[in-house]
Amino acid sequence: MPRVLVVDDEPNILLSLEFLMQQAGFEVTTAEDAEQAQVLISQQVPDLILLDISLPGMSGFDLLEQLRADEATRSLPVVMLTAHGREVEKEKGMALGASDYITKPFSTRELVSRVQALLDRGNGG
Amino acid sequence: MPSRQNLLGLWMLLCGVLLFGGIGLLLWLDTVLTPATPERVALWVLGLSPAVVVLMLGMVLERRLFRPLRQFQVLLARLVASPDARSDFPLDGWLKPLQPDLDHIRDGWRGDRARLRDARDEGAAEALRIQQELEGVLQVLDLPLLICDDHQRLLLFNPAARTLFHDQPALGLGRRISQLLPHASLNDALKQLPQDGSPRQLLLPGEPRWLRCELRRLGARHGGALITLRDTTHELESDQSWRRELATLLPRLRGHAGSLGSAADALVQVEHNPELQHRLEQAISQESQALSQKVEALTRLVESHQLSQSGLEETWSNDLFSALGERLHEEAIELTPVGIPVWIRVDGPALLAMLERLIRELVQIRPVEALDIEVLLGNKRVYLDLIWQGEPLTDHQLSLWHALHLFDDPLSPRIEDVLAQHGAELWSQPRNDTDTASLRLPLPASSRGARPQPRAEQHAGQTRPEFHDFSIAELPAPDAALAHTRLEELELVVFDTETTGLDLRGGDQIISLAACRILRGRLLAQDSFDQLINPQRPIPPDSTAIHHLTDADVANAPPIEVVLPRFHQYVGPGVLVAHNAVFDLLALRLANGETGPTFDMPVLDTLLLSRTIDPTLEGHGLDALAERFELTFPPGTRHTALGDARVTAELLLALLPRLRSRGIETLEQLLELQREVEQGRPS
Repeated sequence: MPRVLVVDDEPNILLSLEFLMQQAGFEVTTAEDAEQAQVLISQQVPDLILLDISLPGMSGFDLLEQLRADEATRSLPVVMLTAHGREVEKEKGMALGASDYITKPFSTRELVSRVQALLDRGNGG
Repeated sequence: MPSRQNLLGLWMLLCGVLLFGGIGLLLWLDTVLTPATPERVALWVLGLSPAVVVLMLGMVLERRLFRPLRQFQVLLARLVASPDARSDFPLDGWLKPLQPDLDHIRDGWRGDRARLRDARDEGAAEALRIQQELEGVLQVLDLPLLICDDHQRLLLFNPAARTLFHDQPALGLGRRISQLLPHASLNDALKQLPQDGSPRQLLLPGEPRWLRCELRRLGARHGGALITLRDTTHELESDQSWRRELATLLPRLRGHAGSLGSAADALVQVEHNPELQHRLEQAISQESQALSQKVEALTRLVESHQLSQSGLEETWSNDLFSALGERLHEEAIELTPVGIPVWIRVDGPALLAMLERLIRELVQIRPVEALDIEVLLGNKRVYLDLIWQGEPLTDHQLSLWHALHLFDDPLSPRIEDVLAQHGAELWSQPRNDTDTASLRLPLPASSRGARPQPRAEQHAGQTRPEFHDFSIAELPAPDAALAHTRLEELELVVFDTETTGLDLRGGDQIISLAACRILRGRLLAQDSFDQLINPQRPIPPDSTAIHHLTDADVANAPPIEVVLPRFHQYVGPGVLVAHNAVFDLLALRLANGETGPTFDMPVLDTLLLSRTIDPTLEGHGLDALAERFELTFPPGTRHTALGDARVTAELLLALLPRLRSRGIETLEQLLELQREVEQGRPS
């Protein structure tokens, strides 16, 4: 069962995403900030991370850069979740090595299918 | 003519030699000849008579010749300095017979001058009338504008520009634009303006304001440019604050919408888990509440932004009402403005048409022939009330009016469009304690509070301001050598200081610094620098007795380190002038320290120049010279820095024609002359 780590500081969206991703057949862990996420990743590298950009303290971009700098997580698929709809931020996320970029509000069905597609691509390659 | 002291010395020496020589000779003769008494008396009378004759002759010459000659000298000096002054004193002594001839020459000269002046005045009167009309337009124009010549020297600025740059000492005729607006982009744009006069726009960022300016080349002889300015600081700030608020609000909206959507999706899928179901329901409730709040905030933001949008202009309510009254006059409806008028931000033509339409509808359903109209200041808004005798209108009636077109044309805007444009609503209410009712229209208030100032009142009692001088464009290019500049073309900054005392090296400090400007031989009446300075030490009472400045007067004044750079900026490329400049310059240089601006421009000293021209006259102090040239200090201005600077400037203007008549034409020659007298070798 693919393991997905959801990082977001909004408890309501964490609750919903945790349930929805479980329903879609993933094993889900959640973190409310980047530091907590780092701890979880160091214990066990997930198959994919859903990462919010605006986090208290270290931002999602910072965490993404660290993941890309680390050999163990260099090719780990990371989907950025953001409430900022600006095109340039999407460009920034992709430039920093995000695998996909999803803007809030989003369709949960689409989110699940894009996560699935990324995991399939990873398994296939 | 030799100076009075020299003559006096020579005379007394001669008298002394003759007197004591005579006495010596007599004593010798007395012992050698031992004459009888009558011969002795005759001998003594004869021996002393040369001394007595020289004594008497000296007194007669002084009274009848030398004193009248000195008076004649002052008379000539005064005549050259101000030919039309009328208070001449008559010639005296042996020069008295010259009086009729002198009067004849002087009157002839004055007559010629008068005829020349009349002819010139007549010719200039028409030009002046046109000039005054144009000046009038410039005076009332709200748009700040500047005109500069090819060398970017300021030829004109209007009162609106003076208001805009009120805190800038660099605004002055003949000053470089770059001193006022030191933006490289402006400098480049001015050099590259298209010949056909088409405009170029520029945004000049800066502290404390951002200016939007439009530049056009003028087809004038001096090839200069017209610069119109608009202070966009407020506009940019409000635009930035709206963008900033929007940028924080939108992500929150998206975030809550995202949380709400995913919670709803989850809730649909959850089965047999009452606890999760409950938590998801709670999340949905929280997120939808947060979403509503953010939507509410967004609505307010959009509304406030719409209100600040262009299309609405500052309008004086009474202007609007009188236009409305005229329109209704044809309908035999009497409109009376009541209450205190205020500024409102409205689309004037649209609001006027809407009010006219509303009143016409009103008189059809209410028997009204006369209406009062009033504006009331509310919180953030202004309420415009139409008041009539009778019952208020029903809300249903008003809602029917919303859809009415302003004009008969079905494509014209509706009343509701004008209401939306102003962010307004309409309601009708009875008036307290009266049998009148009103139709109330809330409108955006203006940020301007006070009533518009009538221009005539603003400038009443003031001399006509000098805000243009196109002859500046005839001056040599600023990079031409200053030394060869002709005296009448020099930009002169005449200054004076008041200090805590005279011992500058002992620590006395400047407490007042003032200056005025002479441009093309004219003392500019409104171009001055006048600043009190806190000397950071007490002012001794005996110096207060001179300039009447006390510690309390300078307590809130800035220190010299703040004032000097501003003064340096005011001086610009000008030549400094002072009376007894050594003192004032020393005061400036000592105050300056190592980091301040340097005052290394050429300096003229009216004390030295006066000594050069009239070495035989006594008294070259400011008071003596003011009296000689009939210059008056306005009451209470002697020993004020600005008062003394102005009189020094007038003194210099009186000296200049006499310098020219002595062949001194350029700054270089004048400085050379000044150097000679400084070194004690008057020419």
